[in-house]
Amino acid sequence: MSEVIQKDTMLSYINGEIQSNANSVAIRAINVRGKDALENTPFPTRKDEDWRFIDLNAIKKNRFTSVSYANAAEVGDISKHYLPEALNTRLVFVNGIYNEELSSISDLPNHVIVGNMSEYGDHDAVKEHLGTITNYDDDAFAPFNDAAFEDAAFIYLPEETSVEAPIHILNLFTDAEKAFYATPRLLFVGEMYSKATIIEEHIGLANNVYLNVPVTEFRLFAGAHVHHARIQRDSKQAAHVSRPIAMIDRNAEYHSYTICLGAKLFRNDPRVIQNAEEVDFTVDGLVLIDGDQIADTHSIMDHRYAHGNSHQLHKVVVNDNAHSIFNGKIFVAKDAQKIDSFQENRNLLLSDDGKVNTKPQLEIFADDVRCSHGATIGHLNDEEVFYLHSRGLTEQKSRELLVYAFALESVESMEVESVEKLLLDEVIKYTTRD
Amino acid sequence: MLEIKNLHAVVEGEDIEILKGVNLKVNAGEIHAIMGPNGSGKSTLSKVVSGHPEYEVTEGEILFNGEDITELDADERAHLGLFLAFQYPVEVPGITNRTLLREAYNTIARANDREELDPLEFEDYIESKLDVIDMKDEFLNRSINTGFSGGEKKKNEIFQMAVLNPVLSFLDETDSGLDIDALKVVSDGVNKIANDENAIVMITHYQRLLNYIKPDFVHVMMDGKIIKSGDISLAEELEANGYDKMEKELALNGEAQ
Repeated sequence: MSEVIQKDTMLSYINGEIQSNANSVAIRAINVRGKDALENTPFPTRKDEDWRFIDLNAIKKNRFTSVSYANAAEVGDISKHYLPEALNTRLVFVNGIYNEELSSISDLPNHVIVGNMSEYGDHDAVKEHLGTITNYDDDAFAPFNDAAFEDAAFIYLPEETSVEAPIHILNLFTDAEKAFYATPRLLFVGEMYSKATIIEEHIGLANNVYLNVPVTEFRLFAGAHVHHARIQRDSKQAAHVSRPIAMIDRNAEYHSYTICLGAKLFRNDPRVIQNAEEVDFTVDGLVLIDGDQIADTHSIMDHRYAHGNSHQLHKVVVNDNAHSIFNGKIFVAKDAQKIDSFQENRNLLLSDDGKVNTKPQLEIFADDVRCSHGATIGHLNDEEVFYLHSRGLTEQKSRELLVYAFALESVESMEVESVEKLLLDEVIKYTTRD
Repeated sequence: MLEIKNLHAVVEGEDIEILKGVNLKVNAGEIHAIMGPNGSGKSTLSKVVSGHPEYEVTEGEILFNGEDITELDADERAHLGLFLAFQYPVEVPGITNRTLLREAYNTIARANDREELDPLEFEDYIESKLDVIDMKDEFLNRSINTGFSGGEKKKNEIFQMAVLNPVLSFLDETDSGLDIDALKVVSDGVNKIANDENAIVMITHYQRLLNYIKPDFVHVMMDGKIIKSGDISLAEELEANGYDKMEKELALNGEAQ
């Protein structure tokens, strides 16, 4: 009897061959790299330190197929998802595939590019930067995106250009007969002193099962300022594993805000790499989950040079059986003196069965730094509830208002009015559900 | 208006009785002061009347305009016109004074079949109440009590009272922690709010407050009961002789155990 040992990799959960028909040489090179890595990277298990708490069944019990074989539904009228501030700065991807008809790009400053990467495969910035910073060691997911993506959002800002309107990257996922996978990709290259606001959205239009594995790469050169909001409203049956990474140079500012509302399983590993002295960055998050949702954030704030400010406020509200995990790494290299880094994780538990794991992880090799962290887990404060209750509000309303107030701080950082409004509506929907 | 009969209360889930048979009657247009040493149960009385879930009434009743409100929730009592100015007003980050008050005002209006105010109407209404307590506009945009000084918190309680226009207010040690200027402003506000149709019960430790808000009745509370009632001269007597002496005298006369 011969025994066949089947290695458990990402491919174990995929139906058929991964095929990419990208025209661009640069993209094809990444596809090939991804395939090689995929075959040699085991799928994570509970024995892996970074995967200890998370239940990956939402992925493991499925076999995801390429969207071309999934009988995916038409996208329909999606105009309600357009942002009024970004009517001419919008790229739309449906199930990971670029949709030119729904996208709308005009009135950009000279030499600014916002478009589908497959049209810009020969652009120097693509050749130079695509896939260069996404080195997630022993990671099965970034290589999966590498292997499978064909279309991608490409944003390029030349020196000293500012795009005033927010750039809206709208990733939509439609209903389908079969569970499918999608690999949205975003490459942002901001040359010296460029400036932009990026709203990256993921919206599930139905309640179907799919696997969304996006990779975003942000390369900011000296003095570039970027505000990056990521709003995850995937289908509540979907699994979403994100790899957003940014590398920033001297005097650059990168402020990112991830809002997690959807998906049955959400795993997000944001990473910011300080690539020169004097930077400022933010890795904020807001998680509102209920039912049997799982949301896991494993972030890395990687300080490699001196004089950097970084902060992270990760706020979580958990209801029903939902489960939140937070692991916040702060790395400070040996010579990275005068780093000022602050991390705070605040968790609000609304039910007895909800679960929260939180862990700060500071690895500091410099001796003249200020790094602080804090984590709290608690229920709503009874005295606060009674105070509002005694003013005539029902107990239910008092609780809703307090949860709303807890979430508000994160929403107010959005800077784009319609996005703020959209998120407030989502917060109200979350707090007032029956 | 308010009639408390033989009220006994314990901390929810515990056996220790804190109110041991309180009797109190308050009519419209009256101002009462309840004085007593620490631990006498006077703050508990105000919480029990406002419906704090921490306490359980084990005997007796609270009648408000003839209706027994002992089983009502705190918000239902507020809808009837009860108000508690907290001894320790709670900080609620993220909710502005304006938001709370509009929500509270309109909820109470709805419960009483009165017309609700839209945001613009409410704005006019709330602005008209600002000078009751000498408040600035921007105060409305601040999160409830968050980062307020002790005096500002107490002023905010009286401001809320002015906006919600309750029928019966319990002021729980509203004077504690106030400097003389703040005490004058707060007292002045209370005096402006007091009229023939409403009533106020002040809970206080010190006679000082009563120099600024003149009560019609003064009650002394000790060990979970009101042991003596009278007019302002009772407060003066307390100030002169202290609670100990009064307790001893009453014991001699057989009025207290």
